[in-house]
This record gives sequence, structure tokens and C-alpha cells, in this order.
Amino acid sequence: MAHKHKTKKEPAAPKSFGWMAEFVDEQQLLVAARKLRDSGYTKTDAFTPFPVHGIDEALGIKPTILPFIVLCAGMTGTCTALLLEWYTNAFDYPYIISGKPFASWPAFIPVSFELTILFSAFTTFLGMLALNGLPKFSNPVFTNPRFDRATNDRFFLYVDSKDRYYNRDAVHKLLKDTHPESLEEVLEDESSADIPQPIWMGITTLAIFSLIPLAAIYLIRESRSEEPRFHIFLDMDFQPKKKSQQTTTIFADGRVTRPQVAGTIARGQYAPTGSYYLGYDPEKVASLESAKATRFVTLGQPPAETAGSPEEGTPPAPQEPAPTAPAAEAKPTGTPATTPAPAAPTATEATPATEPAPAQPPAADAAKPADAAAPAAAPATATGEVNLDTLPWLTDFPEGVATEANMARGKQRFEIYCGACHGITGDGNGLVAGRAAELAQGYWTPPTSLHDAKIRQQPVGRIFHTITNGKGKMGGYSSQINAEDRWAIALYVRALQRSRNAKIEDVPEGERAALGNP
Amino acid sequence: MPAVLVAVGAVCLLLSVGLCFLNTHEGNRAEGVQFFMHSYLTNYMYCLSFGLGALFFVLVQFLCRAGWSASVRRLAEIMASTLPLMAILFLPIIVMVLMTNSVSLYEWNTDKPEGLIAAKKGFLNGPFFAVRSLVYFLVFIGSAYFVYSNSRRQDESGDAKITLKIQAFSGPLIMLYALAISFASFDWVMSIDADWYSTIFGVIIFAGSMLAFFSLLAISCMLLQRNGKLVKYVTVENYHDIAKFMFGFVMFWAYVSFSQYLLYWYGDIPEETIWYQIRINTDNGWPYIAVILLFCHFVIPFLGLLSRHVRRHRTGLFFWACWLLIAHWIDLSFLILPNAGPVESMFLVGHLLGFIGMVSIFLAMLLLKSINVPLVAVRDPRVPEALSYHNIIV
Ligand code: HEC
Repeated sequence: MAHKHKTKKEPAAPKSFGWMAEFVDEQQLLVAARKLRDSGYTKTDAFTPFPVHGIDEALGIKPTILPFIVLCAGMTGTCTALLLEWYTNAFDYPYIISGKPFASWPAFIPVSFELTILFSAFTTFLGMLALNGLPKFSNPVFTNPRFDRATNDRFFLYVDSKDRYYNRDAVHKLLKDTHPESLEEVLEDESSADIPQPIWMGITTLAIFSLIPLAAIYLIRESRSEEPRFHIFLDMDFQPKKKSQQTTTIFADGRVTRPQVAGTIARGQYAPTGSYYLGYDPEKVASLESAKATRFVTLGQPPAETAGSPEEGTPPAPQEPAPTAPAAEAKPTGTPATTPAPAAPTATEATPATEPAPAQPPAADAAKPADAAAPAAAPATATGEVNLDTLPWLTDFPEGVATEANMARGKQRFEIYCGACHGITGDGNGLVAGRAAELAQGYWTPPTSLHDAKIRQQPVGRIFHTITNGKGKMGGYSSQINAEDRWAIALYVRALQRSRNAKIEDVPEGERAALGNP
Repeated sequence: MPAVLVAVGAVCLLLSVGLCFLNTHEGNRAEGVQFFMHSYLTNYMYCLSFGLGALFFVLVQFLCRAGWSASVRRLAEIMASTLPLMAILFLPIIVMVLMTNSVSLYEWNTDKPEGLIAAKKGFLNGPFFAVRSLVYFLVFIGSAYFVYSNSRRQDESGDAKITLKIQAFSGPLIMLYALAISFASFDWVMSIDADWYSTIFGVIIFAGSMLAFFSLLAISCMLLQRNGKLVKYVTVENYHDIAKFMFGFVMFWAYVSFSQYLLYWYGDIPEETIWYQIRINTDNGWPYIAVILLFCHFVIPFLGLLSRHVRRHRTGLFFWACWLLIAHWIDLSFLILPNAGPVESMFLVGHLLGFIGMVSIFLAMLLLKSINVPLVAVRDPRVPEALSYHNIIV
């Protein structure tokens, strides 16, 4: 019917794309398709309103090569994932995760599995489209209005003119013999093949818009502006709360950070004094030779600025009763700066007498217990200046520590907290120590062997002190292990040490036989 | 024929007991008993898994109104109907648990359990174990009987309503089945190591069972067709579909087995890794079996069944089905035997004899169940669909 629209400008007949036959049922279609196939035509196609069993065979369609493409894509996915994981985890940025090796194949497998699936799925989808020549916006068969019924109740068979054996009349005759409902030539669509103007405009607009994010990123990255940045989420950037060092109108003095209220202890700051919690006798410290004591005392003292200003805070109210009073005797007669003012709480060694008090005048009443409490906080986080060797350490366990139950508890705690470094037997060969030695990074101090003569000779109080405050590379455990358990550990450490140096006489009479010792 | 098979089976099983009992290291009889019980459980689970897989298959076919499988479904129904007979072979274990305090199979079967096992006493104890086993068998046998008897009735009446009826029940039955097989795996197999647990264990057993069932189905169809049965009913399309399932469950087995391994490897918690400790971290040969499993139960059959041409090729498919049946046996041995303690070489002969014995008895059951029974649900309304079904054209 195209020839009806022939224009005078173009006298030539429109290009022919091939023949299309229409059938009323799929059986006719199959018969015709087989006939085409048997005559050697390969560039054929069928259009049906529903899938017709056997049509592939009837048209002689070769099995698809898609599975092989997908197999290759899947393997590419596996390799990509393994390589990516190996590169990132073991090569580019080695980082220990859960104590596993850097290249942990079991951990790599889920990702490689997923990537295999991902690559395969995308390849299946895109490969299917590509092998079918899709997307295709138009097809010459659409020129025939009869073809609309291909989605309804008609079956079409199409022979492409590009077929190797195509011959216009021969194909026509062949199809005619299959008694189609209709048989028409597929002709070129005369309408313009150019992309319509509005679509061009749409594409151009989209292209331009798509540049905006890129441009914005570039602008921000290259910006040298000193203006404050632009706030998109105001409620995130400006929250109704105060941070330290800011001012406020809520309090008369305008400070956000509030001074400690008199008579209170901040959460987590309570550190009882007394030899049970210190490992040494604070009273004896006070009675030490005065110069030395001064140094201890100074160490326990906060820097002058934070000691509190005279205007605020309440007069020193005695918080700690008598026990520390004798310390006052040793009170040095130094300058006000070195005067043991009541210690403000420090992180690890706060005294209960915590409220900031005015600095004491040098001649302060020696009997003031608040002053006297200071030395108790003495060696604290000592910076080596304090000679730990001469502190009056407890040499015996406090009452009630040396029990059978505590020994068991101590063993358990020791194995949990100390064994990792010092080894279960205390030889300094724990897993952490082993691993550190293996890495040989150079800045590791090996854990001391607890059987070292030096450590064996240390008084128990000092062991307790080491557990509480740590030493060198070893952190303090006061925040994780309570004092009772720290004593239990010290008890167990003593037992470990003793076990290396015991004589048969140390074993109770009745149990010697069990050791196989006469 | 069944009688001969049963006789052979019984003899083999007896020989197996004897070998295990007499060849113990330094005359330690307990070791032999322990090994035999584990070996018995392995071979028992092996034969049971065909019925379990078949039952699930049948239920699923009804549940999703599958047409393609209507022609092979009867074979699966017959396999599932071996379950009541298999229940009899479980009696020795029940008797052992109820009558004795032997810990040769289940370490929780004692009056004075210790440690973690003591805490699990409320669940893991003889009487409750027996009751639960009974419930599992009721679920398995009940569903198998329900489907099979109705399907047989359809052979006579050709009533399409029967199909709808089974279909209506298959959903709830599958839910019961899932619970039963999961807990049965926990009780029967996992509790031999009562300290240890894995929530995915039932799924691993299930995956193995499905694989075993599909392999047996493929082999049965081929053997029957070779003998002139089912010739018109089972087409290459059916084989292709069965093979696709085999391929899928090879993958699924690896997936769930690896899931369990990955989590335990990652967590590295002693009470969880102990199971792998005695399987892949010792020098008694089990680590080799683990590697063999990785390749023979996954990598090699995966690659072997990957191609459509193999899946549609009878000889190829027959080969892989036999391969997987053996792999499944190794898999079950790997799941159960390492808990049996040291393995003497004569024990292995005993294990193999036990395998032959149990399989003979199972085959006898299968033959007994299929005598005088139509091997295709001839009047099932979906059989025509099955026969005209096509996957693709090669
Ligand atoms: C993170 C590893 C680590 C852990 C955990 C650890 N330590 Fe230490 N420990 C060390 C190191 C390192 C040293 C050596 C410190 C130094 O001399 O600088 C040390 C030293 C010591 C010393 C000797 C101190 C001295 O005076 O020379 C003792 C005693 C001790 N540790 C006891 C313990 C106890 C008890 C525990 C358990 C509560 C424990 N350690 C937990 C690493 C550790």
C-alpha cells in the first residue's frame, strides 16, 4: 500500500525488507516455518501472541551461546572479587580483623559468591538484549497495520531480504504455497528517520542537568572561600545543647562547665584511700623524711590554676576523718605554691576530700585534716621521679585476703587479665607477647617475667600497686578489676612465684606423697 | 528377590557388628561398640534420606501444582513409602536409649551427665528422645501414607478432586515436615556431640537427602527404562529437570555447609569449633575426607553437571548420580563417624559391610513396595502435561 503514497519527488519504489505471511493458527505457522527452514532460509522470524512450543526448532534457530558468555562473566566475577579482597585486605591496607590472617579465604568466599551472581545476572540480562539486537525502537514490520494483530490472534512469519538465499519471487512463491491468510511485502517506512526535535531537546536538557552535580563537587573542592560553610541541615549543625568552654545565660557566672558541687564526688572518681587501696601505708609516707614527702605530696597535687579560686568553693570541710591526721606533722614549710592544698580529684587517684578549697596559707593550721588527706594521694601516676623502691609498701596481705577461695579467684582473674601478656605461668610468654615478638616492630617492651628475682623480692603491696596503676607499657587495671580481685591476683602471683622456689618442707606433711616425693 | 536381599543385608550387618566388636585395639570392646553404633547410624541415615527427600519432593510437587513431574512422581511416592519400614530399623537405637545407660552413641544417655550436658538433661534424656522420635516418624509416615494412598485411589477412580485434596494438605504438611526433619537431625545426628550445636544442621541433612533422592530417582528411571518400563513416560526433559535439581542441591549443600563453617571459623569460639577440631584439625585422616568432600561433593560434580548437554545425556547423568550417591555416604560418615573415637582399619571394613547390609535391606523395601503397583500415576490429570513438556531445543 506504500506505493499509494509515492511522491513525485521520489519516483523509486520504497526499499523492500522482505516478506511477511500471516496465519490464523500456530499449526500453519509451524508448517510454514519448517518449510522455510528446510529450504535453507535462516534470517527468518516468527511473531505470535503466545509462546509456541517447538517454534525454535521449526525456525531452525541455533542454541544460544549466552550460557558460555554467562559462564565467563561469572568466573570474571569470582576472580574480580578475590583479587579485590586480596588487594585491599592483604596488600594495600593490611589490617588485622578478628585475629584472622590478612588473606582469609573463608571470609573472601561470600563476596566472591555474590559477585559471581551479580556479574552472571547482569550478563544474562544485557547479553540477552544484545544477542536479540535490543533495544530496537522500530522495526520495518510495524509499517503494516495488520501486524498489530500479532499481539492478539494472528501469527506472522517474516523472511528478511538480507538472507543469503533471498530472492523476492522465490520467497513469495514459497510462502504462497503455505496458504497464508495474507502475504505482504515489508516496505521501508517513509516517515523521516531523524530523531524528533522534542526528543533531542529532552536529551540535551538531561545532559546539561547531569553536569550540575559534577560542577557542584568541583566548585566545593576548589573553593578557597573563608566564609563559613553553607549549612544544609541546620538542626544537625546547631543543636540545642552546650559544649564545654561555651557561655550560657542559665547560670549567673555564665560558665557552661560547672564547678564541682561541694561535698560530692564525680561519677567514677571515687578512689578510697587507705593502705588496702594503695598498697602502701599512707601514714608512714607522711612520717618519711620531709623533703621526700614533699615531693610525693607535690606529685599528688593538681596544677595551681585548676586548684580552684578562692571566691568559689566552700571552706574546707573535713571529709576524711582522723587516720591521715598524723601526716600533718610532716607538713613541709614550703611556699604556698608547693603547699599541699587539698587535692582536687585527678583521674586515677582522687581523694574523697574533693571539693576545691582555697589554697592554704603557708602557716595553715597543721591540724586541718583536709590538708592531711593530700599525701594519701601521693605516688599516683608517678613519673619515675618518685622512688617506688623506698615507699613503705605493705609486706603482708591485708586481713582476709589470703584465703583458699581468693586463691582460686585470683588464678581465674590472673588467667583472664594477665595471662595474655605474662603467660599463664607468669613467665612473660603470653600470646600477646608472642605475637608482638613475631611482628618485631621494635617499640614493644616485653612483659616482665613474674619469676624475675627483682619482682620476687617486691613486697606484695608493690605488686598490688603495679596491677592498680600499671607500669611502663602495661596499663593500670583499677578501672576493670576491683580492689578485692586485685589483691586476689597479687595473692596468686605470689603463689606462682613460690611454686618455682618451694622446698619439700613447704608441702604439708600429708600431701608430699602425692608429688611422688618420699 | 526381596527375601534374598534382606538375608544378604542381615548377614552383612551381623558381620559388621562382629568385625567392630572383635577387632578392637587392645581388646577394648567399648570402642568397638561405639564405632559400630556410629556406623549403624550413618548407614541408617543414608537409607532414610532417600525416603525423606522423596517425601519433600512429592509434597512440593503438589504444593506448586507441578505438571512436569507427574510422570515420575509415583516413583518418589514409592520411595517415601519405605519410611514406615525404615522406622523399624530405628528400634535398636530407641531400645539402646531407653533400656541402657550406654553412651556409645549419645553421650547424654547417662544418669550422671556432666557440665553442659547436665544443663540439657531436660531435653536430652531417654524417654523424651523416644517420644520425639515417635512424633517425627508419625509426621513422616503420616504424610507419606496420606499422599500415597490418595494417589493410589486416583489410579482407580481418576478423580481430579483427589489431586486438589492432596494439594490443599501439602502446605501444612510441608511445614510439619520442615520442623520434623530439622529436629530429627538435631536429635538423631547432632546430639551425638551433645555439647555442640548448629542451628543449620537440619538444613545440611536436608540438602544431602534431597541430593541423594534425586540421584536415586534418576538412576531408578534409567534402570526401569532399560528393562522396558516407563519407556514412554520418562522423557529426556524429565531427566533434564531431575538433573537441574541435582545441580541445584549440589550448590545448596555447599552453601549451607560452608555457611556453618564460615560462622564457626569466624567466631572461633572453642565450644563451637570443637566439631571442626576433631574433623579438620587432627592427624587421623578426617582432614583428608574433608578435602575429598569439598571436591567430590561440590567442585567436581558442580563442574560436571554445569553443562546442559551432560544433564540431558543419560550416560553422563547416570555417572553423576552414582557419584553423588557415594559422595552422600562420605558426607554422612564425615558428619557422624569422627565422634566415634579412634578408627581401626577393620572398623572401616565393618562400616562398608554395614553399608552394603543396610542398602540391601533398603532395596528390598523398595522392591516390596513397588511390586504390583503402577509405576506411573496413570490417571493423574497432570500426566499429559508432563509428557508434552519441553525445556528447550538442543
Ligand atoms: C598488655 C600486656 C600486659 C598485661 C595484660 C599485663 N601486663 Fe604486667 N607487664 C606488662 C609489661 C609490658 C610489663 C613491663 C613494663 C615495663 O617494665 O615497662 C609488665 C610488668 C609487670 C610487672 C613488673 C612491674 C615491675 O615492677 O617491674 C608486674 C608485677 C606485672 N606486670 C603484673 C601484671 C599483672 C598481675 C597483670 C594482670 C592484672 C598484668 N601484669 C597484666 C604487660 C602486661
